[in-house]
Amino acid sequence: MTALLDVLLAAAVLVAAVATLLAPRAGSGVLLFLVLGLLLVLVWARLGAPDVALAEAAIASGATGALLVSAVTGRRPPAEPDRARRSWAALLPLGAAAAAGALLGGVLVRARRDGAGPGRLGDLAREADGVVSHPVTTVLLDLRALDTLLEIAVLTAAVLAALALHRDGTLAAVALPADTRPVLRGFVHLAVPLVLLLVGWFLVAGSSRPGGAFQAGALLAGAALLLALTGRRDLVPTGRWLPPAVVVGLAGFLALAGGTRLLAGTWLALAPPWGAAAVLALEAVLVVAIGAGLAALVLAARPDRRVAAPTPPADAAPAPDRQAPR
Amino acid sequence: MADLLLLPVLLPLAGAVATAVLPWRRTVGLTVAAAQLGFAVAAVVAVLRDGPLRGSPGGWEPPLGIALRLDGLGAAVGLLAAVVVLAVLGHAVARPAAAGGPSAWPLTLVTVAGLQAVLVSGDLFTTYVALELMTVGAVGLVALGGRRALAPALRYLCVAVLGSFAFLVAVALVHARTGTLTLELAAGALPPGPALGTVLALATVGLGVKAVLAPLHAWLPDAHAAAPTTVSPLLSALVVKGSLVVLVRLWSALGGHAGLAVVLAVLGSGAVLWGGVLALRQDRLKRLVAYSTVAQVGYLVLLLPLALPALDPAAPDGARTGALLAWEGALLLLLAHGLAKAALFLAAGTLVGVAGGDRVADLAGTATRAPMVVLTFGVAGACLAGLPPSLGFTGKWRMLEGAVTSGAWWAVAVLLVGGLLTASATARVLGVALRPDPDPAAARRGVPAGARWPALTLAVLAVGTGVGSAWLVDLLLVGAVPAG
Amino acid sequence: MSAPDTFLVLGAVVTLLGAARLLTTRDHLRQIIALNVAGAGTLLVLVALGSEGTGTADPVLQALALTGIVITVAVTGLALVLVRRVDAAAADADADGDGDGHG
Repeated sequence: MTALLDVLLAAAVLVAAVATLLAPRAGSGVLLFLVLGLLLVLVWARLGAPDVALAEAAIASGATGALLVSAVTGRRPPAEPDRARRSWAALLPLGAAAAAGALLGGVLVRARRDGAGPGRLGDLAREADGVVSHPVTTVLLDLRALDTLLEIAVLTAAVLAALALHRDGTLAAVALPADTRPVLRGFVHLAVPLVLLLVGWFLVAGSSRPGGAFQAGALLAGAALLLALTGRRDLVPTGRWLPPAVVVGLAGFLALAGGTRLLAGTWLALAPPWGAAAVLALEAVLVVAIGAGLAALVLAARPDRRVAAPTPPADAAPAPDRQAPR
Repeated sequence: MADLLLLPVLLPLAGAVATAVLPWRRTVGLTVAAAQLGFAVAAVVAVLRDGPLRGSPGGWEPPLGIALRLDGLGAAVGLLAAVVVLAVLGHAVARPAAAGGPSAWPLTLVTVAGLQAVLVSGDLFTTYVALELMTVGAVGLVALGGRRALAPALRYLCVAVLGSFAFLVAVALVHARTGTLTLELAAGALPPGPALGTVLALATVGLGVKAVLAPLHAWLPDAHAAAPTTVSPLLSALVVKGSLVVLVRLWSALGGHAGLAVVLAVLGSGAVLWGGVLALRQDRLKRLVAYSTVAQVGYLVLLLPLALPALDPAAPDGARTGALLAWEGALLLLLAHGLAKAALFLAAGTLVGVAGGDRVADLAGTATRAPMVVLTFGVAGACLAGLPPSLGFTGKWRMLEGAVTSGAWWAVAVLLVGGLLTASATARVLGVALRPDPDPAAARRGVPAGARWPALTLAVLAVGTGVGSAWLVDLLLVGAVPAG
Repeated sequence: MSAPDTFLVLGAVVTLLGAARLLTTRDHLRQIIALNVAGAGTLLVLVALGSEGTGTADPVLQALALTGIVITVAVTGLALVLVRRVDAAAADADADGDGDGHG
């Protein structure tokens, strides 16, 4: 019975993926991608990976969805009609890819069966005596802290690279037409405090159960975008406070690395009396940086206001992106 | 030991944070670059003395923690990177217009940190994250080149990330079969079979794409043509090498694959010849230099099929000796190409400024107006073509010797024809540059003195290290699998 | 087939479908969507390969998947900024400016 459900779920994912890839319009492709994300949340839950499920909902679907929806709604040139290419020319490579994927899947299934006992590393990690009790957080911020440091560096680098394409390396010149419909503003007034509450919850919860800085950061980005797009730009750093907010996570992580080296003698070694507090403090800074970074990536796709000639060709009124985090 | 492994990663990241928010970019950037050179020299000395450096951050030993390991190859490429970055930043300070604006500083430092993390990582997943860091930094740098650079930057990003996904599936497969992410621990645990073949195929495709192995190289010449002058050397001399180092390490640790070796032999030879021919046919200087990178990556990829017998203890002695020679030669060539190509791109960018146009035909008369820059171009080009006594010659000669010893005559032919093509491309540029100035009276922009020296230093190093390169060979063999 | 096996094959197929679409479409936005589909497939492979069936997945692999998700969203954000710039540059180059967007 469960096997049948698995196969049905897998088939649904496959259909959603193919539909996403072959959607005639980019806009419908984005919507189908969001559906795919929802189905994947079920898959992660089924595989017993609640942390990944939460991250999928908050980041992979939530933040990526916000990015894609924003890109689609603000698009100036209409999408190149892809329909002409959709006949055999487009289906043939996809068919070949599906066949190759099935072959690869076969190899993977066999490798999983005669593997060296899957989860050996996982068992070690569960038994590891970390400073926090949730094993996934232990792996991320203690056992493999260097990975997470480099990952924050990737996010920081991507945001800096995006900001580099704007005047002065900030978003101060980006036009953000405010949507001031009363219903929307009322919603924002209700939603933002709730989202912030949730951010705090995820942050604290991460040390003992699924959740953590990344999910919290994605929610914070959602709140920031809601504010920025409903006329409360003053509450969101877009000008000269943006670069510091973006790099503060990486700076905090580097400070932790340097501090542990100087005080404990080992890079990134966390010890019990202060380790849990250090992890929480680090996560709090990371939340700010991730929130600022993700929000900046969404807003950075918008063009700068032109300086000289005020000739905006169809530049006006991109619809407000109502990507409320759920 | 862990200090020498982690400081070269964390210091540039700290520098990136500082240059992103503070106004003293030059001071911070040059200080970090100088410190990196110090670390790199110390690491080379330590590796030559004690063998591969090891460490594990947080005190968690592998397999649970992340294994850091710096072998001779990593230390050598680290030294190359430190020298090139210092020269590039020196050039950027002397000619700020060549650098792509204030954002170039943090992005350069992030890219350097990514490369260093690739070099010191003995953990497959950390390698994936480090490769992404390097890629994102490099894409950001390319995009600084303005409107024409955006599409190539986007293409590069898409293709490189797709390559990362392939690599990541390979990593997952290694973990499933061996229960570890540490390359050294996985090395002995993966028996020959479809799993090993799939791992190597995925990793080779993924890393080959990131290292611009033809036929997936189309974005590279466009990116170089539009990228700021100081970005091209970083991209061609360093970023491409990072992926190649991972590929070489993975192949030698896991024992290679005969069938894939044939595919790589074809692709590598094709890249050498096709890149060489296309370089000759370019009208624009930076595209010419960029296509020569496509050819050079071909040589480096030939390393894998040529060195295969060295990974097999059962292979006959003659074949093993030849394979080892080819292995050493190709890695010397990797270092030579890094130095020479960085010098070439800096010189080419400067020449474009002097000539007032980026067509090869515009170069007429530049030899009288900027003799040092043309000299730099010539010297670096000679190293690339493999003329004695350069490091390029030492490497190519050893590679040839290896190919002859192991009877790989096809490789001998490819190496000789490829060298001829590179030499012709350089000669063509020099021939135009030496022509009399068509309009001597015209007002010209000069080259600031500080912008000449970094490139010339790199070119001189590319030639000079060819004399007495025995220490380099010793270094490259430290902790390498073929050395046993 | 057990649950991990099913999703393992699914992950491999989805990854390659996304890759094929990325390499064959010329529309930049669709390329980014395809990239994300391929990324989702990759993570599916990663987690399913280390899963022991039902119950809880390997915490190490979950952590790796989290890292992969964050990196992919960072890359997507940068790519979409580039897409907008490329499209705008192309529109400027065409100079007819008849695009009206979908908004």
